[in-house]
Amino acid sequence: MLSFRGGIHPPGMKHLVRDRAIVDMPLVPLYRVLVQQHIGAPAKPLVKAGDTVKRGQMLSEPLGFVSASVHAPTSGKVRGVENCINPVTGLGSPCVVIEADGEDAWAEGIPFDVDPFSMDGSELISRIRSSGIVGMGGATFPSHVKLSPPRDKPIDAFIVNGVECEPYLGADHRLMLEEPQRIVLGARLVMHILGLSVAVVAIEANKLDAVEVMRKNAPGSIRVEVLDVKYPQGAEKQLIKAILDREVPPGGLPMDVGALVHNAGTCAAIWDACSRGIPLIERVTSVTGSGIREPKNIRVRVGTPLRDVIDFCGGLQEDASKVIFGGPMMGIAQYSMDVPVTKGTSGILVLRSREVDRSSYTSCISCGRCVDACPMGLLPNVLSRLGERSMWEDALEYNLMDCIECGSCAYVCPAYRPIVHFIKHMKALAREASAKKRQAV
Amino acid sequence: MLDAVFVIGGVGFLAALVLGIAAVTFAVKPDPKEAEVLDLLPGANCGACGYAGCAAFAHALVQDPDTPMACTAVDADTAQRISSLLGRELDVAGPMVASVRCMGSKDSAGSRFSYVGPMDCRAAQLVAGGYKACGYGCLGLGTCEAVCPFDAIHMGADGLPEVVLERCTGCGTCVDACPRGIIRLVPKDALVELRCVSLDSPKVMKGACDIGCIKCMLCVNVCPFDAIDVLDNGGPPVIDQDKCHRCSLCVDVCPRGVIDIYRVPQKVRIVEDRCIGCSICDQVCPFDAISGEPKGVYVVDLDRCRGCGLCVDKCPKDAIVRVGDA
Amino acid sequence: MSDGLVVVSSSPHIHSPEDIGWIMRQVIYALVPGAAVGVYFFGLPAFNVIWISVVSCIGVEALLQWLMGRAITVKDGSAALTGLLLAMNLPPTSPWWLVVIGALVAIGLGKQVYGGLGNNPFNPALTARVFLLISFPVQMTSWIVPRPFLLRSADAVTGATPLGAIKTAVFMHGNLAAAGKISLMDLFMGNVGGSLGEISAIALILGGTYLIYKKIISWHIPVIYIGTVFVMTGIFWLINPGVYANPVLHIFSGGLMLGAFFMATDLVTSPVTVFGKVIFAIGCGVITVVIRLWGGYPEGVSFSILIMNAFVPLINRGTRPVVFGAGR
Repeated sequence: MLSFRGGIHPPGMKHLVRDRAIVDMPLVPLYRVLVQQHIGAPAKPLVKAGDTVKRGQMLSEPLGFVSASVHAPTSGKVRGVENCINPVTGLGSPCVVIEADGEDAWAEGIPFDVDPFSMDGSELISRIRSSGIVGMGGATFPSHVKLSPPRDKPIDAFIVNGVECEPYLGADHRLMLEEPQRIVLGARLVMHILGLSVAVVAIEANKLDAVEVMRKNAPGSIRVEVLDVKYPQGAEKQLIKAILDREVPPGGLPMDVGALVHNAGTCAAIWDACSRGIPLIERVTSVTGSGIREPKNIRVRVGTPLRDVIDFCGGLQEDASKVIFGGPMMGIAQYSMDVPVTKGTSGILVLRSREVDRSSYTSCISCGRCVDACPMGLLPNVLSRLGERSMWEDALEYNLMDCIECGSCAYVCPAYRPIVHFIKHMKALAREASAKKRQAV
Repeated sequence: MLDAVFVIGGVGFLAALVLGIAAVTFAVKPDPKEAEVLDLLPGANCGACGYAGCAAFAHALVQDPDTPMACTAVDADTAQRISSLLGRELDVAGPMVASVRCMGSKDSAGSRFSYVGPMDCRAAQLVAGGYKACGYGCLGLGTCEAVCPFDAIHMGADGLPEVVLERCTGCGTCVDACPRGIIRLVPKDALVELRCVSLDSPKVMKGACDIGCIKCMLCVNVCPFDAIDVLDNGGPPVIDQDKCHRCSLCVDVCPRGVIDIYRVPQKVRIVEDRCIGCSICDQVCPFDAISGEPKGVYVVDLDRCRGCGLCVDKCPKDAIVRVGDA
Repeated sequence: MSDGLVVVSSSPHIHSPEDIGWIMRQVIYALVPGAAVGVYFFGLPAFNVIWISVVSCIGVEALLQWLMGRAITVKDGSAALTGLLLAMNLPPTSPWWLVVIGALVAIGLGKQVYGGLGNNPFNPALTARVFLLISFPVQMTSWIVPRPFLLRSADAVTGATPLGAIKTAVFMHGNLAAAGKISLMDLFMGNVGGSLGEISAIALILGGTYLIYKKIISWHIPVIYIGTVFVMTGIFWLINPGVYANPVLHIFSGGLMLGAFFMATDLVTSPVTVFGKVIFAIGCGVITVVIRLWGGYPEGVSFSILIMNAFVPLINRGTRPVVFGAGR
């Protein structure tokens, strides 16, 4: 089995939650449902203060093709469309604030029971779109868009991403162990939509129990591949390279090489949406790290405030210093306890003071470890030196925009250089400059 | 030994020949005027003129008679000399300088988290919108200082940048670099500035910063020259530097102390022999600081005078001067 | 949470524990066997050279950084490492003032003048060694015969190094016979004359293997450098064994082991890409052999590495990896 060039081996740290079965997080009094929980155009709110909503009711509709809707996680009254902190940007974003009424009553008509295999592709895609399904590995790309490639880029290979390569996280692992049927049925639905007869479920070798369970539950048309444990094996491009030995071209998408990748959780959500009409209103998340007193894998409603999740998991340790949404390599550090869980929150990681790096950095010593680690074949040492001086034009010549921000380079750098931050900084300057150019034209 | 002399000598002669021919064949005749203009330009290649450096701007000025005087880094005197060199009139805007519109120092403004990362304000802005509690205030990491081509802005010990007025040429590089748009250009003789750009509500402001503007609008109401504008974006009022007469009434009335005055303007006095008693000064004085009998000599009450200079402009006989001047 | 605030930074939020200090320490550990053999065979004078060099390098770095208003970074261990490497490149009977001048050149001209760690194009220890060789040729070519537990330089017996003997023999007589018998076992273990740290092939191979195992250096430069020397000297030995020494002798003599494992592999001054390292190693090998066989000096390792250091930026530029997806 081929792998990808580069990559790193950080300590897995999955022992904190790997044996913890998924528990349902109880309802909380207040939910903050961000209107934008996806990549693409924002959605348009459909409700206002005072409206009563039911569980699963659409709260905002997509604007344009690359957009997604959001739905009410529970029944209650809309307090208003307010500004809440978005965990991805750290800035204020509109969100529908719902005061739960405790009934948790479903919206009319859902859930129902149909055989989605009897529906045709376009019907299913439409249902996926109106259910607000987005990539749940963290990228939150609207799934219906992925399933509707342009005619000149047909998909011939579908991979279910059960790799979960980030340290600490175990939500997909538990989902595969406990609810394999939802994932398999969702995968089969995707195959049905795309007209494929085979698919692959990719799982890393540190989850052999999940491999066994998935093999037992998958039909012959879906084979399970075991991959070497290496970060970032779960990154789309690297996964496609390892399983199919195809390389997505720079600036391109998986569909350019005829491939499609969906996170295991996304497949399960697709099944729920198409067979029972349940929109994406909850997800499994690992609440983990040494800074949380009771690490758990929870099934949590979208819009649950972080504060409530932390309380449910025993609270923070005295010296908890960093709270991260996602994994430790690509996750986003949070500063507000009121920030809500979103569709893309694959994990909530709390680190303690002694684990949090506060080092200042020194000059690059050209050790080349970052060059060895980079899965995209870039020169992070050069990019870091350019980034120190904000020289983004020169950085474009060094393939600045091809960086997937996986963090492998910064992880290994002995000089503790914040390489990913430099790259993000230059990307922002480059985007600003091209936006200015477009305006001037 | 003689062989070596001939060989080396021969090579040297050949090289000199080649260089000499090249110097003649490929000679470029620069317009000597360009060099003279270039000499007068500051040579910092800051790009404020829009050209790729001073040499390019000098070339444009000399070769293209429609080139405007876009260099903000020369003083009026130098601009005059360039003008005479070129043999045409140049439109020169008054000198501008940078003005930092934030007073949220380390002591006054709080942080909402501890930031770890490169010490660059633009990079820091990418992390959760910046570590300051106020989403609009100065991040104090010195990007303005780093980009300034004239070494005219420095970070102070309080975490805020200070403009060195003598060096600042108004090139605008710091204005573009600041990720929060805190710096703007004002005329060099501007003395008063409201140093806050936060769009936060007064309630949020009070939690974030001790000194930022709470939009009480007292300054707007008190200004006798109607020189303070209320913006419709919900932000703090902005002083219109063209209308401001530097009377500093707003500075005194601001409850937060966020209106800053560089230096208190000089008060005025009436030159007795030139005063014809027309009483125009008494009529225009917003502070009721001038009194006298019509046709008699008028007198300035120094306790009331705020040095706004309106009377100086209006006096038909130039009979009012600043205290200390002839 | 310290002062009540959480820490927020860009991703990633975890870091490998292997920092610069760790790397420097590993390299110092790897040099210990070589240095120990040097002290064993050359006694107290060698020991003095080592500690004077290390202390001087640390002191010079701290002084220069203080004078230049920069942060003092001696804690990262890089100055200590340069000190140890410099010592291992010097004759064991080097006078203290030679060592101190060497430290000044290594740290001052070889490192700090370029902006400190990471910014120098040339290997600092070798820069100093070559400077000293050109400035003080007598002291820098005074070799002694190994004498365990030697206490004073004055008691030492001078003698040529194996490569020196070879060079003299070929120059004077046109063949190797006059060089006498050189035991391969002596070369391997270290019972020969030479610089303080270069004599024992086995000690240096051990240390170098440790560095490769710890992934501090990759195997490419040492293996290909030594391999190139072996192949090239081997070819000429096959052509004319009376004039050219055999390749096994060549790879165990002189500063090749020290150079291939510890000097050419210096992180700051060697290429960052794998293919670049291969080119660099071949270049070092060829130049070393050219100087050894036909040059004026008996040993060419220092010069070859410094010359190749100059090409490293070009090599880096020319061996850029293919970006993912940009074609094979």
